[in-house]
Amino acid sequence: MALNAKIPEGPLKDKWQNYLAKTRIVNPANRKKLDVIVVGGGLSGGGAAASLAELGYNVKVFFFQDSARRSHSVAAQGGVNAAKNYKNDGDNVYRMFYDTIKGGDFRSREANVYRMAEVSANLIDHMVAQGVPFGREYGGYLSNRSFGGVLVSRTFYARGQTGQQLLLATYQAMMKQIKVGKLTQYNRHEILDIVIVDGKARGIIARNLNTGEIERHSAHALVFGTGGFGKIFYLSTLAMNSNGSANWRAHKKGAYFANPSWTQIHPTALPQSGEHQSKLTLMSESLRNDGRIWVPKNKDENRAPGDIPNDERDYYLERRYPAFGNLVPRDVASRAAKERIDAGHGVGPLKNAVYLDFKTAIEKLGEDTIKERYGNLFTMYEKITAINAYKEPMKISPAAHFSMGGLWVDYELQTTIPGLFAVGEANFADHGANRLGANSLLQASVDGNFILPNTISNYLADDIKTGKISTDTPEFEEAEKAVKDQVTKLLAIKGTMPVDQIHRRLGKIMFKEVAMSRNEKGMIWAIEEIKKLRKEFWENAAVPGNENGPNSELEKAGRLADYLEIAELMTVDALDRKESCGAHFREDYQTEDGEAMRDDENYMYSSAWEWQNGESWKLHKEPLEFTEVKPTVRSYK
Amino acid sequence: MKLTLKIWRQESAKTKGKLVTYKLSDLSSDTSFLEMLDVLNEELASKGEPAVEFDHDCREGICGQCSLVINGKAHGPEEHYTTCQTHLRSFSDGDTITIEPFRANSFPVIRDLKVDRGSMDRIIQAGGYISSFTGMAPEANTIPIHHDIAESAFDSAACIGCGACIATCKNSSAALFVSAKIGHLAKLPQGQIERTERALWMINAHDEEGFGNCSNTGACAMVCPQEVQLLDIARMNFEYNRAKCIS
Amino acid sequence: MAVKKGLFKTSVGRKNLMAITGLFIIFFLVIHLIGNLILIIPNSFFPIEFWGGVENVHDMYNAYSHFLVSFWPVTIVAWVLYAAMIIHVVDALLITIQNRKSRGEKYQVTDNSTSTWYSRNMGVLGTILGVFIVLHMAQFWLKYKVLGTEHDLYELVLATFKVWWFVLIYEIGIIAMCFHLIHGIESAHRSLGIYPKKVMSIIKYIALCFSLVMAILYAIIPIILYLK
Repeated sequence: MALNAKIPEGPLKDKWQNYLAKTRIVNPANRKKLDVIVVGGGLSGGGAAASLAELGYNVKVFFFQDSARRSHSVAAQGGVNAAKNYKNDGDNVYRMFYDTIKGGDFRSREANVYRMAEVSANLIDHMVAQGVPFGREYGGYLSNRSFGGVLVSRTFYARGQTGQQLLLATYQAMMKQIKVGKLTQYNRHEILDIVIVDGKARGIIARNLNTGEIERHSAHALVFGTGGFGKIFYLSTLAMNSNGSANWRAHKKGAYFANPSWTQIHPTALPQSGEHQSKLTLMSESLRNDGRIWVPKNKDENRAPGDIPNDERDYYLERRYPAFGNLVPRDVASRAAKERIDAGHGVGPLKNAVYLDFKTAIEKLGEDTIKERYGNLFTMYEKITAINAYKEPMKISPAAHFSMGGLWVDYELQTTIPGLFAVGEANFADHGANRLGANSLLQASVDGNFILPNTISNYLADDIKTGKISTDTPEFEEAEKAVKDQVTKLLAIKGTMPVDQIHRRLGKIMFKEVAMSRNEKGMIWAIEEIKKLRKEFWENAAVPGNENGPNSELEKAGRLADYLEIAELMTVDALDRKESCGAHFREDYQTEDGEAMRDDENYMYSSAWEWQNGESWKLHKEPLEFTEVKPTVRSYK
Repeated sequence: MKLTLKIWRQESAKTKGKLVTYKLSDLSSDTSFLEMLDVLNEELASKGEPAVEFDHDCREGICGQCSLVINGKAHGPEEHYTTCQTHLRSFSDGDTITIEPFRANSFPVIRDLKVDRGSMDRIIQAGGYISSFTGMAPEANTIPIHHDIAESAFDSAACIGCGACIATCKNSSAALFVSAKIGHLAKLPQGQIERTERALWMINAHDEEGFGNCSNTGACAMVCPQEVQLLDIARMNFEYNRAKCIS
Repeated sequence: MAVKKGLFKTSVGRKNLMAITGLFIIFFLVIHLIGNLILIIPNSFFPIEFWGGVENVHDMYNAYSHFLVSFWPVTIVAWVLYAAMIIHVVDALLITIQNRKSRGEKYQVTDNSTSTWYSRNMGVLGTILGVFIVLHMAQFWLKYKVLGTEHDLYELVLATFKVWWFVLIYEIGIIAMCFHLIHGIESAHRSLGIYPKKVMSIIKYIALCFSLVMAILYAIIPIILYLK
């Protein structure tokens, strides 16, 4: 199937308005005849569920947490971007659009990015009306802070818990719709397959995680707000239960997966401290405003950081990037840290971290100022590590964070399966090869609240006479059987290797070869290793218990089975793209001084991969056309 | 480190539960409490025994899903921590640790340490929102809010809905949880229109879900990971009395 | 949504009722204390030019007691007080029953470091106080006012507090009252919805001081009478 992005006609700045003017909408009286299933209760899925229910559709929302308020949007710290120009610093929609395109290293779709910037202002209005306690100036007006990669202050924030506050507003809007009966929530449900009837996505097969029951649910359209799959690295900043399974099962039913290998590795997470570590907690990027990053010049340094004299320290970011110093973008900072750690200069018990030192800043500004700026982060750091960062430097390390890639969607956010839509991190559209800070909350919220409700009607307009979709059909029968068979198969392995251990090994392979720095030889090795590991999983995974009731090991096994396949596609994608762009850095395609070398001539496209029955994948290219901006080389020297 | 764990095992809400003893050794004090349970579950899995079911997700103290009572204290020995932020360095080598679920009549056990906190969702459904539909909002800066009021509203809004307050309260009252939402919205100008109904409806829902009465012992605020304050409970009572008087 | 429950039937309402009745009882405690303090006025203060002049503490105390039982507005207040006490007790029972039900299965291990023992045990302290009040009323109120078997209340009081174990019972009752008040006063204000931070921190302080002063003054009377 050829890709059709369905970008509306007209100049860039008019496209969305043109689309809205001409798209088909559904009569309010007909909306109650239409069912929509939303998968995911976070900012994108929850926003879509609440907004669609407000419009009058019958909405069912599914998520695996015990409450939608726990979706991982909750963990976003820094803020949300919007082109309000409250600071009178020359911000506007175009500038925001340009910053995002450039931050994504010219690998995102112009029309989508422009639209995101265009509706960003509405989002702030919406969230304020919902009662989000954004930071305020003393005059009572909204406050802004600045974030990496831009020259203006356009980030709105609610202390260090912006994601939580936006999510709670969305959650509350959902709760309101549940009360009025337009929305039904299915908590502790995991989506194990989608059902396609006559070429259209018409339902899902879900497992009730409390009872183990396999359930069928039908709808006229499906919306996936399923988030990212960075947990594939095992150690990541994601929640423990975040997973790629719903997306992957949809992919196997015909949804193309776009740019799967583009994963943002965040430079300032806490390092792994032991073999059993499960999670790398993120420390806000803002710390790099005042902290200096360094490693010892000696390889086997055993002295405490305070005892290492200045001339024996390597402030490698300041050395390599004198213009931006410690404030280079995330991908550059992560890569540079990996380079030093790999060269044997890492610090900490596992030699896997670098120092983030506030000594200079404390000497210059005083401890009180630093406390006022980052007090909550220092407290959080101490809670986890028991180290007082006012006295000695923090130890930080890069960690998998955000999936820029995801399900391929067109301008309407529809995947290649008609009737299946993807919003937020689950889709691929807006961030290109690298996401700017404070853009993920934005994308998730606007996709769910402002874009999808206006585009899904164009699809649903054909269904006003369809009537209820029956779940009593061969298609549902078949999908349910496949799901049950897989559960049985997993429980029948009866091996001895705990699922988490296999996941850790997969994570190690992926982090070594398909993360910050990639090369052909390593990735060919990785594919072989992944295949071996997959074989081992199906032969020797320990999946205890049974399917009747809660069984967290079974849940983990099902997710890992998918990760073991996603991992291969990620590697295939990274191997195929013989250039360096954004988070995708190929050692074999770099400049003489070790910087990324983009190849606009041959790789100015998004890679959308089609599943071919498990044998291989077929690549579809969506060419990227830039009408308003001219791709340039990103340089931070 | 070596630890002896006494863990509450219960098949479902309908069956009786009991404490089962497990022993773990070679633990590092840098391991988090939940990672210790991961280690235990790996040991159980490799022997083919069912895992100890417990709730957890973000593991950075913000989602509110983790919900263990450790040695009789919700979220463990440290004040204002979540379970996932608790590390083994808070314990000593050789300790015996009792792990139980968040208990309350309105938190039925799903299995082992997992409980159903749907009752908290239903309280929010009763009125914990502002009815502003997508697309209705006026320009954000048309509603100026004093810096201190916004900050105070944030203090209440920071509640992560974990339920530690309820698990700790000797009466299983959800007063702190309900008051955090009522306080958050009552402090802001956007929340004024529905203020009266919200207080009545949410407290009504609180009672219908079977939560107990607040005795103001203050234990809830001592375990709250976000340090929501008892003053919010007073604010909730004020809002309720005000609503009763004018409605 | 229909909210049918009356003002005092919800969890907040029931606590309001506790607070209002509790505060009224505290108001009575103050009045009661003032009257009782007559008992320890030293003889050197007499005669006092009051009520047309009283010669000694015996006459003064009996005149005061007579006034209480014969002046009709006091009788009305007394009935309100009995009602407040009964409501306070019945409401406390209802609340406790609900709380037990809400708790469900008990913890195997409990850690009480997060709250004070007296705030958790208001019911126990209240029960001690209840038993004490019954004894107290049986000894004085019943004999003097209801049955009328004793006419010289002062003598009765003096005789009572010459018995050491009676003094002990009183001291126990007063200690229970002290802790009941420390928590009760703060809790009542919070239940009624006093939320400004500064006001509440002052109330907390006042509650402590007031309870201690009340308890000390109440406590010294039986001791002084015993030693007299």
